[in-house]
Amino acid sequence: MNIKLNRLRLAGLLAGAGLLAVAHPSFTADTNAPVATPPAVTAPPPGSGTTKPPMPAPLTGAELYSMHCNRCHAERYPTERTAAQWKTIMLHMQVRANIPGTQARLILKYLQENSGR
Amino acid sequence: MNTIIKTTARTAGLTAGVAGCLALAPAATAEVSEADFRALQETVRQLSAEVQSLKATNTVAEQLHDQDLQQLHQLQAQMADTARTAADAEEKSAAASQPLPRVPIDEATVNHNFQILGDAEVQFAKATGQNGSFYLADFAPIFLYRGGDNILFEAGFDTTIANNNDPTTTPPNQGAGYTTTFNLSFAQLDYVMSDYLTLSAGDMLLPLGTYAERGAGWLNKIPDDPLARQLLPDAGVGAQLRGAVPLGDAGKILNYSVYGVNGPSSSDTTGDATSLDLGGNVGPNLHTDPAGGGRVGVFLPFKPRYDLELGLSGLAGQWDSSGNHLYTAGVLDAALHLGPNFEAKGEYIRTRYGSDDQGMISQNGWWAQVGYKLSGLNLELPGINNLELVGRYDALHDGLGTTTRRYTAGYVYYITTALLFEGDYEFITSNDASQNNQLIFQLSYGF
Repeated sequence: MNIKLNRLRLAGLLAGAGLLAVAHPSFTADTNAPVATPPAVTAPPPGSGTTKPPMPAPLTGAELYSMHCNRCHAERYPTERTAAQWKTIMLHMQVRANIPGTQARLILKYLQENSGR
Repeated sequence: MNTIIKTTARTAGLTAGVAGCLALAPAATAEVSEADFRALQETVRQLSAEVQSLKATNTVAEQLHDQDLQQLHQLQAQMADTARTAADAEEKSAAASQPLPRVPIDEATVNHNFQILGDAEVQFAKATGQNGSFYLADFAPIFLYRGGDNILFEAGFDTTIANNNDPTTTPPNQGAGYTTTFNLSFAQLDYVMSDYLTLSAGDMLLPLGTYAERGAGWLNKIPDDPLARQLLPDAGVGAQLRGAVPLGDAGKILNYSVYGVNGPSSSDTTGDATSLDLGGNVGPNLHTDPAGGGRVGVFLPFKPRYDLELGLSGLAGQWDSSGNHLYTAGVLDAALHLGPNFEAKGEYIRTRYGSDDQGMISQNGWWAQVGYKLSGLNLELPGINNLELVGRYDALHDGLGTTTRRYTAGYVYYITTALLFEGDYEFITSNDASQNNQLIFQLSYGF
């Protein structure tokens, strides 16, 4: 009889712990935490029931160039300057337009690769 | 084995033949006379001498043949060398006729760190009640010197010329010739400390809104500055921390700046309302404490060329020499791009400053500007794709009794992306009688 009672008590405790785990916010699927290096995710097969969208690809230098370099003036063609000149100009633009260094480097790489000289 | 047996059999056969001949020979020689024998002997001797001579000749011939062979080999070797030399010479000749290959430039020897950018504007303006005039509106070079990967010195100048004889001033200027005005609009040293933080110091364009930092003659699309910008200092001498932090991977950015500068001052040391001088305090500081300010903004791109930027900025500090009065300014700025053809931007500006004679002066103004490039209409008409229609509304309440409203309608014709021909007409309503409608044409070039 005592063994049966203890088993019942144990089952109840386990059930309660399970309910608590499901209800606690730290156990929800999406924490909105940023992912530093998003892994490649393929879209789930249709009808699978999952709804998580695939992570977008990082922005390329060309895309960042279109975003930032069109804010204040018409886009200048990469061929207008040499690769070395773009390095100086891009430093000026990074400061003046408040562009993060990571994005500024990608834009510079795009300009230098397409300057043709 | 068979070969040895055969050779042995042949030798035995020959021996038997020679022995048989010798056995028969005595019967034959018995009939040869001594004279014949001596003649035969002489013949054999001569034949032997001839054989020796032939042998000697053959030896010489063999030697000569060997020498010829040697010479032939030498000639062949020389021919091979000559052929190689000719091929080399042909290669060198072909190479010499080609342009010299580009040698990577050593940055230590060729200075690509120095750049001159900038712009220049020439205007024609006709205000109601005044003569139409051509102006060299501005020649504004910007010098950039990059001292390394993270260090930049930048300075901008404005050069204008104006008549010495100017009837529009109060009192009217009189004199011959003209005066060249050369202003330092900014000069600052930038040190990029990290991807998100830059230290700037010097005479800096202030981040009060975005118009001062991001404006230039060839960028503004409308020749005149917004009216409300005269409520704010464009630049100040001091130091600044600024930068931007990405918000996720989709291009969103939080940008910020915080600075300390000498700040506005009094033009005559008094605290009179009309003595406020927004740009003259370049050192030494004309009052006891520096002014401080900053801007925070978010840049929200939806996709390339579709974006919204919002910013909030402010400045506060003493302005009169005795330090009794505070000057404060706040600006709300916004800019919207919807594709490559549509742009809208504007600022709302409020300032307040105390004064000895008129108490607290509250000023405010705002401007909103839109532009639409007609290339978005996809019309197959000549010149249309290079045309942008622009319009601006701006208003100013200067806190001293003057209110001005201006409606501007104009265009920008892009001769190239950097050579612009602009024109606009400004309709002005103001209780300041000196403000008149005017027509302006401007040719501006950004380099």
